[in-house]
Amino acid sequence: MANRSELGRKGNQPDLLAGLIFIVAGALGLWAGRDLTMGNAAMMGPGYLPLIVSALILLIGLGVTIMGLMRSSEPLGVVRLRPLLIILIAVAGFAYAAGSLGFIIAAAWLIGIGSLADPETRLREIAASIVVLTIFGILVFILGLGVQMQLGPF
Amino acid sequence: MELFDSLILGFSAAVTPTNLLFCLIGALLGTLIGVLPGIGPTATLAILLPITFFLPPLAALIMLAGIFYGAQYGGSTTAILVNLPGEASSVVTALDGYQMAKQGRAGAALAIAALGSFFAGTVATIGLAIAGPTLAGFALSFGPAEYFSLTIFGLLCATVLASGSVIKAIAMIGIGLVLGWVGTDVNSGSERLTFGAVELFDGIEFVVIAVGLFGIAEIIINLETPELRGLIATKISRLWPTRDDFQKAWPAVLRGTALGTFLGILPGGGATLSAFSAYTLEKKVSRQPQQFGRGAIQGVAGPEAANNAGAQSSFIPLLTLGIPSNAVMAMLLGAMTIHGITPGPSVMQNQPDLFWGLIASMWIGNLMLLVINLPMIGLWVKLLTVPYRLLYPAILLFCCVGVYSVSNRAFDVALAVGFGFLGYLFRKAKCEPGPLLLGFVLGPLLETNLRRAMLISQGSPSVFIDRPISLALLIASAALFLLLLVPAIRKTREEAFVDEEA
Repeated sequence: MANRSELGRKGNQPDLLAGLIFIVAGALGLWAGRDLTMGNAAMMGPGYLPLIVSALILLIGLGVTIMGLMRSSEPLGVVRLRPLLIILIAVAGFAYAAGSLGFIIAAAWLIGIGSLADPETRLREIAASIVVLTIFGILVFILGLGVQMQLGPF
Repeated sequence: MELFDSLILGFSAAVTPTNLLFCLIGALLGTLIGVLPGIGPTATLAILLPITFFLPPLAALIMLAGIFYGAQYGGSTTAILVNLPGEASSVVTALDGYQMAKQGRAGAALAIAALGSFFAGTVATIGLAIAGPTLAGFALSFGPAEYFSLTIFGLLCATVLASGSVIKAIAMIGIGLVLGWVGTDVNSGSERLTFGAVELFDGIEFVVIAVGLFGIAEIIINLETPELRGLIATKISRLWPTRDDFQKAWPAVLRGTALGTFLGILPGGGATLSAFSAYTLEKKVSRQPQQFGRGAIQGVAGPEAANNAGAQSSFIPLLTLGIPSNAVMAMLLGAMTIHGITPGPSVMQNQPDLFWGLIASMWIGNLMLLVINLPMIGLWVKLLTVPYRLLYPAILLFCCVGVYSVSNRAFDVALAVGFGFLGYLFRKAKCEPGPLLLGFVLGPLLETNLRRAMLISQGSPSVFIDRPISLALLIASAALFLLLLVPAIRKTREEAFVDEEA
């Protein structure tokens, strides 16, 4: 433990993040299940196991956080917002469009916006991808496999 | 010869033109996506899973099995040619395989990998055919208490044998369990943990979680790391290995097969553990261990045979007990459930054509891969030169349409966005998402069995101790847990995984 001076200063960031996720997940479980009946061991109510396990996740989250503070520091690694946000927005847009605007718009949005996640993509490639993949999707998914989605917004 | 009759039944079910076609399509698609660096078998299965929902159950399972083997093989090809293992189980293949490729022996490495895998797959399939009925017969006497203890044991084993922190893995299982309980409680009929969303009353769709955590999250991670792309070592000139290669490789294949078949059965085992152990074993028994890492053919043959044998025999606990041993098997269990099949001992009795058909198709799938892989190596190599930026939009489209098609709802796609983000966070937090998937598929089973057992015993936990099989499983679980607390063993485990990651 040569780098004792670093201990507790920054902490083990992956562990801290894990701890945070677990605490939030456990708390969310407890909150969502707050009105469920526990019942007893012989007649378990709908809330029995979910509440026990959620509490366990919360406790582990606290433990992992404390451990993360004590362990040697470790950075989180590269976080680049561009691919993260663009991919999530592209898929979310697909979800919205699939419900109301139909497959062609949904797929074109997904592929067009999604392609922007890689900074090296060129405009011509995006256009080609949209055309090729949308036609492929119509043929394979809608006509071939019979996925129930309108083609257009009408 | 009951086994013989069963196998004939299996082959007659599997060898129909449509089933063979789906097996081929599965193997091709699996290889296609498996070859891409950064996308392992779990992600490949998640992406392609929804396509199989349109098929009859047996054809769907056959296709999924084909996808799985294809992805496995595809990963090895990438590992050997460009030193980028597509998944954890081919990490060790890259060590010596890539060195061989650099020496101009890529053809030999690929051929030995394919032949060794085929041999191992054949042996492990026979093992499954023999062990399956025995184990299933044994499991028929299991009551709720035994099943509860078995599930606990399986889940705990999965955390111990998987890499990474055990405590995090347990929390991940917990999250999976809770997610599995979302929806309508079967006993009381009341809805729970749904936040009032009507779409969640039937629970969260398995595909949503699988595609979100493995498909979408994996694409984001791949895009974040600058161009995961190696250089293709050399042109592949000579495909067939030399006589000397064969002589060195076959004992390694035999050892790898034996090891993989055994390790695959263990919960949490499967392909990855088998491959790593086989590499270590080959290095130990070799007379020239210094050759390893410099292009030793045994270092390719052993792990490749082992990972295929392990992949195959990890079907045993799933098909006979209904307990998946790793994330890939959890994926197959999810697929079976969607087709209305509950895996477990009763499948073999009630739907023997399904069980034996699947076994027969495993062998056929392995044979097909041998046929596809060797002559088509050139094509897969070409695929590796296509930039990722052109490929991932297509994968994204598969993910989205796949999630949508499960119940034709846009809601599921929106939910998958959430799981994609969660999967990204998990990777940043160094949490393996595999245990979550295991917890999710086993959650309802665990709760049902616990409730039944406790109802019968009127709330007394002694029921788990009074029944010998249950007691044995619980003692084994407790022992496993205690072992982890022993510092020496914990250290060995950490070292073992450090060695693996190197």
